[in-house]
Amino acid sequence: MNKFSWYDAKTVNDALEQVNATVSEVLASKVSDQSAVFKCGGTDLLDMMKEGLVAPKKIVNIKNIAGLDAISYHQKSGLKIGANVTLAQMEANAEIKQNYLALHQAVAHAGTPQIRNMASLGGNLAQRTRCWYFRSLDHECLRKGSGTCFARNGENEFHAIMKNGSCSSVHASSVSTALMAFDASVEIAAADGKKRTVKMTEFFVTPGDDSSRESILEANELITAVIIPPSGSKTKSYYIKQGARESYDWAIADVAVVLEVSGSKCKNANIVLGAAAPVPIRSEAASTALIGKEITEQTAKDSAEASMKGATPLSKNAYKVPLFKAIVKRAILKTT
Amino acid sequence: MDTKKVKFPHGIPGHNLSEVEREIPTGEPPAWPINDDLKVVGKRVKRTDALAKVTGAAKYTSDIQLQGMLFGRMLRSNYPHAKIKSIDTSAAEKYDGVYAVHVFKNAVGMAQAKDGGNSAGFPDVKFAGQPIAGVAAISVDVAEEALKLIKVDYEYLPFVVDLEEAQKPEAPVVFKTDVDQEDRGGGGGGQSGLKTKGNLRGPSTSSFFGGPRGDVEKGFETADFIVEHVYRTQVHTHCSLETHGVVVDWRPDNVTIYASTQNTNSVRHEFAEMFDLPKSKVRVITEFMGGGFGAKHSLGNFGVMAGHLSKKSGRPVSMMLDRKEEHISSGNRPNSVQYLKIGAKKDGTLTAIKQKSHGTAGVGLGAGVGRIAQVMYECPNFSTEQYDVFTHAGPGAAWRAPGNVQGAFGLEQAMDELAEKLNMDPLALRDVIDKSDVRKVERQRGAKQFDWSRRKKPGSDSGTVKKGLGMAQSTWPRFVNLNSTVEIRAYKDGAIEVRSGVQDIGTGTKTILAQVVAEELGMKPEDITIRIGDTLFPTGPGSGGSIVTGSITPPARNAAYKLKLELFDQVAKELETVSSKLSMSGGFIVSQEDNSKKIAVKDALKKMRTEQITTSASRSDDYGGFKMGSFLAHGDLGSVQFAEVSVDTETGFVKVDKIVAAHSCGRPLNITQLEGQINGGVIQGVSYALYEYRVMDNETGHQMNGNLDQYKLPFAMEIPEIETIIVEDYGGRSSTDAYGIGEPANIATAVAVANAVYNAIGVRIYELPITPDKVLKALNKI
Amino acid sequence: MKKDKPNLITKRSENGKPANGISRRGFLKGAGLTTAGTAMASTGVLGFNQPETVLDDETMGPEATTIALKVNGRTRRVNVEPRTTLAQALRYHLQLTGTKVVCDRGACSACTVWLNGEPVNSCMTLALDVGDKEVTTVEGLKRDDALHPVQQAFIDHDASQCGFCTPGMIMSTAHLLEKNPNPTIDDVKHAIRGNLCRCGTHPHVFKATLEAAKKM
Repeated sequence: MNKFSWYDAKTVNDALEQVNATVSEVLASKVSDQSAVFKCGGTDLLDMMKEGLVAPKKIVNIKNIAGLDAISYHQKSGLKIGANVTLAQMEANAEIKQNYLALHQAVAHAGTPQIRNMASLGGNLAQRTRCWYFRSLDHECLRKGSGTCFARNGENEFHAIMKNGSCSSVHASSVSTALMAFDASVEIAAADGKKRTVKMTEFFVTPGDDSSRESILEANELITAVIIPPSGSKTKSYYIKQGARESYDWAIADVAVVLEVSGSKCKNANIVLGAAAPVPIRSEAASTALIGKEITEQTAKDSAEASMKGATPLSKNAYKVPLFKAIVKRAILKTT
Repeated sequence: MDTKKVKFPHGIPGHNLSEVEREIPTGEPPAWPINDDLKVVGKRVKRTDALAKVTGAAKYTSDIQLQGMLFGRMLRSNYPHAKIKSIDTSAAEKYDGVYAVHVFKNAVGMAQAKDGGNSAGFPDVKFAGQPIAGVAAISVDVAEEALKLIKVDYEYLPFVVDLEEAQKPEAPVVFKTDVDQEDRGGGGGGQSGLKTKGNLRGPSTSSFFGGPRGDVEKGFETADFIVEHVYRTQVHTHCSLETHGVVVDWRPDNVTIYASTQNTNSVRHEFAEMFDLPKSKVRVITEFMGGGFGAKHSLGNFGVMAGHLSKKSGRPVSMMLDRKEEHISSGNRPNSVQYLKIGAKKDGTLTAIKQKSHGTAGVGLGAGVGRIAQVMYECPNFSTEQYDVFTHAGPGAAWRAPGNVQGAFGLEQAMDELAEKLNMDPLALRDVIDKSDVRKVERQRGAKQFDWSRRKKPGSDSGTVKKGLGMAQSTWPRFVNLNSTVEIRAYKDGAIEVRSGVQDIGTGTKTILAQVVAEELGMKPEDITIRIGDTLFPTGPGSGGSIVTGSITPPARNAAYKLKLELFDQVAKELETVSSKLSMSGGFIVSQEDNSKKIAVKDALKKMRTEQITTSASRSDDYGGFKMGSFLAHGDLGSVQFAEVSVDTETGFVKVDKIVAAHSCGRPLNITQLEGQINGGVIQGVSYALYEYRVMDNETGHQMNGNLDQYKLPFAMEIPEIETIIVEDYGGRSSTDAYGIGEPANIATAVAVANAVYNAIGVRIYELPITPDKVLKALNKI
Repeated sequence: MKKDKPNLITKRSENGKPANGISRRGFLKGAGLTTAGTAMASTGVLGFNQPETVLDDETMGPEATTIALKVNGRTRRVNVEPRTTLAQALRYHLQLTGTKVVCDRGACSACTVWLNGEPVNSCMTLALDVGDKEVTTVEGLKRDDALHPVQQAFIDHDASQCGFCTPGMIMSTAHLLEKNPNPTIDDVKHAIRGNLCRCGTHPHVFKATLEAAKKM
């Protein structure tokens, strides 16, 4: 790793005064190597630093900022999870498990037990893609400032099958798949003391809009919390992730299904696909196919089929289409 | 040599156990009975070095920290094919914390072109990751900072990394002249003297098992059934947990090398040769070693570099590869495209086997598919053509049963298919064509334990997730290395110490040495001190080819026997008898004429004239001679494995639920450790079958998954239930009659899994690994 | 693995450098530079409109600083740079080499140590990040000079082969038993789901852990 200096931030404002770049800006060579960037759990930043992809001059440690490490739940207002809460804390939280099952499942399948003890929720949302061309020091890919996506005609077995026209990487956060399905919002603090709250659906940036970043975060911003609306007794949810391995892996395909049911009828549906497109996406088609229907093997199958409409698989990832259809169907049926 | 005639147990207990008379050297011990009648050998003895491993006290090469030690790192080309015009190291040499810089003048650790292949005094770059120069500095970080200051001026050249593209006439050529690669102590290399044309080297048509036999075309004419397919296997990398590496401590009078190696002897040999030193001045130490699987027999370019850097700096230099370097530069199992045609009569009798294979070991040799198709079954007509295809990729290396794992994938799927065509059970077909007694027993015992009768017709399981059962067999030669010596010291205080250069790479060599010596001396294994993995001690074999157990345990027993005789000589008079009438057991030397006349071994040792006595023995020829030369023993190491899988026909994912692995290795020495070795071979086989492959980007010549994150290896939840059956198979071929199991354990698993997948879905998959895309394609779902 | 349209031979400019835009190889970083090598410098580019990095009294490093680390019940002083990982501090500053570094990216768990009793990857933890948390390594697992039941069970059931994954396996399974003295085999699998072993010791690790549980 490169040499860097270290600053332990005490407060959010303190932290925001110290940083001057996002990791994405450094990666895309948009800023000089005098950068100061945030670190919480460090599992993604250190990975990139060890690869030599980024070499920040200064690391601003936000892990010890007070007040960002709590989970609070109220039946009426819902769930608020501090940005520094570890995935292990979320996994162990009984209220999440009880009221937001799909989120619990997504968290419990993220990384290894060791990584979950280190990785923070904020870092999980801000992490960069695992695309192997992006992670390679030797490949100047589209996301790092060149005009080329190596994966498009290269090794793309784990890459995107939808909305993959420019860059075909997929976002690494499978926790986001569940958060988006629960219609979560991200609370972001800015240096001027202002806060903004952004829906998960607005949080990610597609490569078509800006290939140098995966989220809307700016250099003078810090995620402080994730807020999830209350989950009623009629809300049913399920999450399925398929990686190359069951033990631990990144998703080849993952899906979170959050349904509002009445009897066995689906009143409302939010079906989110991870690892299908460069960012987690809501499948409106899948939801529409299900809303107003009894949840049966057939309607689940119809919804799953709809979820893959318009898929544009690449040379080596056509298998992800039937794979998504299978897990979407299964996740829907598991809610009943 | 004076000889005596001795009767040995022969055959398989519970099947055909009998006796055989062998003429053996008079100085060698009497025959051991079968394991049931032994106290220590064949038992579940605890690993002698387990305490050091579970407490973190075990010091591996990467843990060695010497006073003043520097850390070495190497600059590697990130381009797959180039000429080096110039290298400027001046800035790196001046960098604070740097003590030495060295630039390679020759390419090491790959096939060598006859013309040298150098230009401007530097070796041509032939793969992305080839080392060019090295730096020794006060830390890894400082060394890496200094590497960035080295300026290399390249002339970039076109390259090819794909096996099939490399064979096209317009493909860039890797080696312009014929090449050879020396076999480093069982660690790869290839048949010498074969011609190279373009990127194609070979074919190799013969081996020590002989050349082609009969007339295959006539054989096919007489066949009632033909099976003919092309089978493909992937490149995968060894991924030893401890990377390749050395610590070289170059002193004026001698050089000490701590090496993460499977072969202390060949590392010493190569280092002495490379630096023109007498072997007496080079010492190699491997006390603990973090995994090799075939790739760690050689000094390696990193070892050569560390030697130069230590010599230049006058300080010890630690040079451990990082994880990416381990993937791209330190070995892999070559891929294969195998054409296989098999003809058979209605009764199953084979009439002909024809094989042709291409594989790439990158810039190295050794991409054949082994000899399993030639030797496992009775077949009068056989031919093979095996080609090495050069590509601009990292060199291959031996890996657990080199070639045979690939070869078995073709052969045993073809046999499965043939059985179906013949309307025979796969086991029944083997009963016809396989003359091996031990595999017959393994089939019977395995089928019973596995409950083979559950097997349904292919593709007939109902539901989305279909179960399937399959089986496959393997053979591996019994290799012996006569250059295997053990020294035993007995001290006046009663201590017994065993010394040999042989290393324990995790297979349990230390433990079996303690068992064999303890059995002979009537002691407990924990009373024996094992000092191995050091070339100060007598030379031992390299840990490759499952050669160690059969090579080093007979001399260990023989040296212990000699020690015993010396002690008998010393006390015979006191016990009022002659030495030939004494025996040793339970810590006592006892007169066979009068049980009451005995002396504790410890007391006997106290009577020695000197502080210690030393005996030694080297591996003698096999009793009854060898099958060939002085390295290929009679018999084989046969195995039969059964696999149960679940195939999700919607997602395409396969899971191995259970493996029953029936194995033989002559006289088993330590059941627990054997089970561990079999588990390991099976798990690597499951991984080969379903998960791991090198992702090579054809357009940039880079491995894209050179880490342990994107390179998919199995973890806890991918591990099937594994049951082992170990069949005792006595032959009376040495004083221990024992052989290894490391390689046999890995051969049959992947193809047994493939056969089980076929049984589950009714469609055969001819390519490894069996990933969901291939399953869904086979099921016409994509 | 075969390409539909192989592009093996690239047109190149006279100096042999790949011509940008013709081959995707043109974008291989360093292919056209003289400093090509896997260790690429992060180049400082001038002319960006970016505020300067703030360095003040509370900023540590980049040079080494002496910090206290609580390791295996003792407080140890170590002189570390901010970039020093906990694994490096343990191995090279405190000579506690039982903790192994295998992937160096948090993908194999060989480097597992406990921070306040919870397993983490020491290769992905900076020494400065430890603060006053208690670090426990495999060397510190003994209680009153007796092996932890898991360590003893690993010996009894031959749960190590080469032994390089063993310290990490032990830190994961011992943590499981500290939290759950009555685990099922699935619990054991979950506990070591991130621990890589290449020798294939898993079946013996499962068995050893379940046997150790009986002695907790």
